[in-house]
Amino acid sequence: MDLVARCAVEGFFAGLHPSPFHGFSVEYSDHREYHAGDELKFVDWKVFGRSDKLYIKQFQQETNTTAYILLDSSKSMSFAGAGAVSKMDYGSYLAAALSYLMLSQSDSTALILFAERVIKHIPPRSRRTHLNIILTALQYNRPAGQTNLAGVLHTIAETTKRRGIVILISDLLDDEADIFKGLAHLKFLKHDVIVFHTMDHQELNLDYEGLIQFEDLETKARMRAFPQSLREGYRKRVSEFLDNIEKTAGNSGIDYCLLDTSEPLDRALVAYLAKRKRMM
Amino acid sequence: MSFTEWIFLLGGLAVVGPVIAHLLAKPRYRRLPFTMLRFLRTGQVESQSRRKLRDLLILLLRCAIIVLIAMLFARPLLHIRLKPSESRSVHCLGLDNSMSMAYSNGSGSYFDKLVDSAVDYIRSAQDDALFNICALASGDWMQGLGKEQALAEVKALKIEPGSANVTDFLSGLSRAGRVEHSGDEVSVLVLSDFTPNTLRQFINVVEPAAINRIDYEPIISSKPVNNAAIADAHVVGLADGKLTINAFVVNYGQVRQNRLLIARAGANRSAPIDINLSANQRNIYQVQLDVGAAGRQPSFLPVELSLSDGDGLSVDDIFYLAVSIPGHEDINILLAGEGENQMFLLKTAMDTLSRTSSYDVLRIKQVSMSELAATDMDWANVVVCSAITDRLVDLALDIESFVKAGGRFVCFVTEAVAPGVAKQLWQHDILAALPGKCINERTYIQPKPTDSRAPGVDHIAARSLSNYRIDKVVLKGCLECEPHPDARLLWQLQNGFGLVYLKSLGSGTSILVNTSVDDSLGSLTKSNASVAFCRYLLGESHQIDEYCFTRDERIVLPMSGRDRIFAGQEQIWIETCDGANHRAVVADSSVLVPDPAGIGWVKTLGKPTIYAGINLPQGETDMTKPVAAELAGVMSRVFATGAERDVSEAGVYRDKKNRPLWKIFAWTLILLLLAEPAVAIRLKR
Repeated sequence: MDLVARCAVEGFFAGLHPSPFHGFSVEYSDHREYHAGDELKFVDWKVFGRSDKLYIKQFQQETNTTAYILLDSSKSMSFAGAGAVSKMDYGSYLAAALSYLMLSQSDSTALILFAERVIKHIPPRSRRTHLNIILTALQYNRPAGQTNLAGVLHTIAETTKRRGIVILISDLLDDEADIFKGLAHLKFLKHDVIVFHTMDHQELNLDYEGLIQFEDLETKARMRAFPQSLREGYRKRVSEFLDNIEKTAGNSGIDYCLLDTSEPLDRALVAYLAKRKRMM
Repeated sequence: MSFTEWIFLLGGLAVVGPVIAHLLAKPRYRRLPFTMLRFLRTGQVESQSRRKLRDLLILLLRCAIIVLIAMLFARPLLHIRLKPSESRSVHCLGLDNSMSMAYSNGSGSYFDKLVDSAVDYIRSAQDDALFNICALASGDWMQGLGKEQALAEVKALKIEPGSANVTDFLSGLSRAGRVEHSGDEVSVLVLSDFTPNTLRQFINVVEPAAINRIDYEPIISSKPVNNAAIADAHVVGLADGKLTINAFVVNYGQVRQNRLLIARAGANRSAPIDINLSANQRNIYQVQLDVGAAGRQPSFLPVELSLSDGDGLSVDDIFYLAVSIPGHEDINILLAGEGENQMFLLKTAMDTLSRTSSYDVLRIKQVSMSELAATDMDWANVVVCSAITDRLVDLALDIESFVKAGGRFVCFVTEAVAPGVAKQLWQHDILAALPGKCINERTYIQPKPTDSRAPGVDHIAARSLSNYRIDKVVLKGCLECEPHPDARLLWQLQNGFGLVYLKSLGSGTSILVNTSVDDSLGSLTKSNASVAFCRYLLGESHQIDEYCFTRDERIVLPMSGRDRIFAGQEQIWIETCDGANHRAVVADSSVLVPDPAGIGWVKTLGKPTIYAGINLPQGETDMTKPVAAELAGVMSRVFATGAERDVSEAGVYRDKKNRPLWKIFAWTLILLLLAEPAVAIRLKR
């Protein structure tokens, strides 16, 4: 997991996240007048010597954001179509890569694994050793349970105190309206929300042949059909579903990225981050 | 619709198979865990109904295929009820174009009259009448002809070199009748000379043919019949270069015949012989044909016996007789016996054989065993020794040379055989078996040789020996013989020991007979089997063969002696009577000739040339006129008209027309078989 995260990130993304916060760090930003209560150690004594006025030095904090990585661990994420990588694995690699990226920039990174409810919550830390904790959690994470994405998003919105970047990695197989209510809740709390929608190639295209009994991974519902006769309608409906999500996400100011698990992870990540950099 | 073989309809029950399979079969599917079932569900109902429809369609297709196959085997017939206005006149003409119709009385041949009568009959028929014409000699049917077509066919009819075949005509009439309907007026016209042969065939008909009307016309001359024929011929013998042939000449007519009989073979011809035969008289005439050098060497002579002109049917005045002459050969037989009287009985049998032989000349010389010399073997073709003695050991090398050069060495063994002597001859490969100890017990000979077709012995004599009840002859004893590895045991005794052993050495033959001359052959002589036994021991006889067939016979040319050159070939080329070349099949030791296509010669192409004479069937030469009353009775019995038609099975004319439907069923079946996979594949999409 660590190796995958390193390979995906190393050399590409360092320094891509200028912080939106101003604080007291090493890089000078501006001066302001001293007010009572300011710490004296930030007083610029050289300016005081020249002008006999007290000014406080301000520094731009380079990395002080908090990233909340939300990984859907419901049973549907275990689906692996034609390829060997399941959506769960793909999402884990993505989460690992993003964690590595964040922690490399000293961003505080939290990992939240959820299905019907939050399964595991690793609070945000910016220490480099925090990565090991995240990777261990990802490694031993097993998909189970049904999806209750909306409920989980509300829970997270209510429990996160500090605003930051919320990265949701999920197949979004839940009620679309509820999902976006949860995401809107996060957005309302000034979180920067990014949705990585992981889908298997077969889920997108339904390239099966012959008589197949489909069994739902979460509900265990069964359906027997010739996929070749359903393919056209299926693709149409899936396309409508994806369009609706993308459109709704765009309207809500949520970054949305559809990831096909048949595509290499780094390629998808590079494409997305490059796009995000252009936007900033 | 009905079915001719309705029992096959039971095969339609096989549809139960696919129906049960359809009901019981569960569709094969694979399980697949999936996530987005909600996107599939809307199409589910459509998919399942489509699958059910597909299964039902395929089931129906397969059931239809099975039912169609059953119906196809049941031979469906469609009954079409015809309107009365659709009834037609159907005329079936049986026209005798056999060889006897070539008879001419000076004012045109019978056949010309037949054609004229047939043409008049057709012209007098209605314009919309249908004609079915049968040529009686060839048995060919021309059916469904219009008036003009029928006229053209009748005018194109030719005489066939064979007899009229009434059976073919009547069976064809029945077949034709089954496809007509009761509204049709079916008339039959038979035009023939009604020779005794033809009339006999009509008499022998068991089931009458049901028709509406029968017309027949005997094509005969008002004048007395003038016809003589060579009915048969056989070779009597060949002596001094002259072939003697007996010709059987018959006067079939009422006119006295004063003719000349001549035999020809290439450029050679016999002196004419006067034939004087009163009405219906028959006689055998002997013709002597000088064949010159051909009589002294193997040859094949095509001999034509002919009568001079003077009667109404010339085609039966020539008789074709192929004669196979094996070549003249004198056989010198040396009989060597220990005593003067020892070979008496054997010599008597040989003398008898020489007198009965029609071709071979047997010269017999008798010597004492002690006087037997090598010079005797230079003269002899066959050396017969009564016993194995020391003298034979002295002459062992000469005997070996004699046999290797093609001689035949026949050796009897007596009770007392010196073991050393026999052993020395055995070592020279002269003896076919080594005599051992004596078995002094009474025994009998097997009824006939074990292998009557073994090479080196006379086959005819071998077969004829079984007629002498030779198994009743008692032998006082025999010797226990050990056969040479190259020898064959031809004849056995009933106690299991061998009687005759044969061995080939070089181009000659050595025979050992396991019994003494005095005891056993004496007994054989008393049983009258000695002559045949001597013929058997002397080997294949040289006989004159005749290859002579009639047009109706199956022609099989037996290959013997030099003709065996064809053995090993599967086919050879032959020339038939019409001069055309055809392939003939060689099977076993004979050549199977296909249709000879006429009267005359059939011969093999290539060397040696084998001829076969093809002659007119004897019935065709008898031109005796039919008695009108008898003919009328026969025809009324053979062709049932009026009320008799309803009870007849020979011609069932129903009021419906039966149209076979098998073609429609077959095409439908083929289409369904083609459509089934296409439909199945299409619906699976």
